[in-house]
Amino acid sequence: MPTLAWTPFIDPIDANSVWYLLLIPIAIGISLAFKAVRVGDMKKYPKHVAMMTAQIITGIVVLAIASFIVIDTLIPLLTPMPAP
Amino acid sequence: MASGPTLHPAAALAAAVLPGAGYLVLGHPARALGAFAGIMVLFAGGLFIGGIDAVDSKEDKIWFYGQALVGPIAFGVDYAHQNVFKAIDPDTNTLRTGYPNETQARDDTGRRVWRELTDEEIAQGMGPPNTKGVGRMNEIGQLSCTLAGMMNLIVFLDALFPAAWSRPRSKGDA
Repeated sequence: MPTLAWTPFIDPIDANSVWYLLLIPIAIGISLAFKAVRVGDMKKYPKHVAMMTAQIITGIVVLAIASFIVIDTLIPLLTPMPAP
Repeated sequence: MASGPTLHPAAALAAAVLPGAGYLVLGHPARALGAFAGIMVLFAGGLFIGGIDAVDSKEDKIWFYGQALVGPIAFGVDYAHQNVFKAIDPDTNTLRTGYPNETQARDDTGRRVWRELTDEEIAQGMGPPNTKGVGRMNEIGQLSCTLAGMMNLIVFLDALFPAAWSRPRSKGDA
């Protein structure tokens, strides 16, 4: 009997409040697959995967901060909006 | 005389069937395991985040073009989604995911159709076999599964041209 209870891999998770943390498993997955292609010596594989994961996460965080500064600070300075 | 990259059809065939299997054919089990793990983290992770609704060749066709690059696994998940979890709307005669107050039933011709639940059945906790993914969870789940397909395309091409693989990669070996 199908029920409304949450079933892993069948129903979506409820992580809307922490959606940005889902970047971490995606970054790990991309790094695992890409470094399996790129690394010549597989003994260096774990280190390279960890480095690439950190680089992706850092890059996205920096882009998020930059976007926030542009939208929240620079654009209001360049095009001041009239007070409501 | 310089020669071009050599094709390895057996490795390509294995890579098309199972992510990373092309490297197994080429004799690189550690590389095969790494590629398989990466693609499965992305694909299974996408299913975990967005549910089975993250893979849908009918309602999210463009996303599925990317997801299909994962291979038979993606087609199997989509087949199950279309043929087990979806049913026909008796009013519009179209295949869709069930609403929270519906369950699957068979009509006179044996087709799977959605039937509205009674208050007693709802009180018992009955519902459709899966919940439709919406919003960010659906977007991130679809994105993760599609990224799995794109990474598998890279892995597939790398197994298809093993001569390119045997060359030094870049400074620092990565």
